Amino acid sequence: MSMIHLLIGITAIIGTVITYYAALKIHHKYHYPFTLPMLIATIIIVLILLIIPISYETYMIGGEWINKLLGPAVVALAYPLYMERKLLKKMVVPILVGTCIGALVGISTGVLLAKWAGFGEEILLTISSKSVTTPISMAITESLDGITSLAAIFVMIAGVGGAVLHSYVYKYTKIHHYLGKGIGLGSASHGIGTAAALENSQLEGSISSIAMSISAVVVSVITPWMMNLLL
Amino acid sequence: MVKVMKITLHIIILCLLASLGNWIQHTFHLLIPGSVIGMIILFILLFFNIVKLSWIDEGAKFMVRHLTLFFIPATVGIIDYFDLFLGKGILLFFIVIISTILVMVSSGWISQWLIMRKE
Repeated sequence: MSMIHLLIGITAIIGTVITYYAALKIHHKYHYPFTLPMLIATIIIVLILLIIPISYETYMIGGEWINKLLGPAVVALAYPLYMERKLLKKMVVPILVGTCIGALVGISTGVLLAKWAGFGEEILLTISSKSVTTPISMAITESLDGITSLAAIFVMIAGVGGAVLHSYVYKYTKIHHYLGKGIGLGSASHGIGTAAALENSQLEGSISSIAMSISAVVVSVITPWMMNLLL
Repeated sequence: MVKVMKITLHIIILCLLASLGNWIQHTFHLLIPGSVIGMIILFILLFFNIVKLSWIDEGAKFMVRHLTLFFIPATVGIIDYFDLFLGKGILLFFIVIISTILVMVSSGWISQWLIMRKE
């Protein structure tokens, strides 16, 4: 690895962390759903990359290192889960039922809306698993012969979209119980939704991380079968 | 300083568990991602007291608090896909958003209804 390579990498890492902290501060001062730190930080970094300009590939020399920590960060979700285990045990049925309904609705509405709008089969296959976390969605899309890189983008829109909109959605649909809120966020917006749920409470976050995990398993099992039905 | 060392050490343990999860996923060709397998393993280890809470708590709390930081580099990847959402492609953006809201409302509403009936 060359010196310049290392320098770019370190700059990208430090730059991302500083931008994230700045976004946290902005979110603290102007506390609205659309000032989600992750959204603000992403927009700032995208703008910087476009203005200078730096390619995404170059940015990822450093970005890759932060991306690698996503794995252990998901492992860390066992901590809130463990802390809330006694309460969660009492809610097994609503958690399972809610998450399965979410999985069915996510696959069918995404595919049917895209079909109705006239998109081709390749897009329909790709959009089917957008509610689950990136690695699963990409794996499902690959096995269905969809477009894997596009799957990652759909997952991201579902994640950020849900995290930004959930407070409005819950207000108008009168979903106010932490169980419903957590299940909804985890089922619709996977890890990014879980991060949003954790901001509300540790309990809501734990429920969301359970919903995200169950939904990952359920969606990967039923998607191929549902696609036969929907296409 | 002690706290920083502790957090770092705890994160290393979490990294090892994530690697173990990835290894299990690849060895057994599972569709569940390695990180989720790692999460389940850590939960079981904590539950049976094989891993003490004090071995991972500071690191876990830190990572959970800053969960979204770790999503940022992947999300910046949208930069390479702007063209896709020009023209008719923009419909896909709205379809994903609408479907996401429908998932949130249906799953959230039914689970809330079930728990409220019970309580």
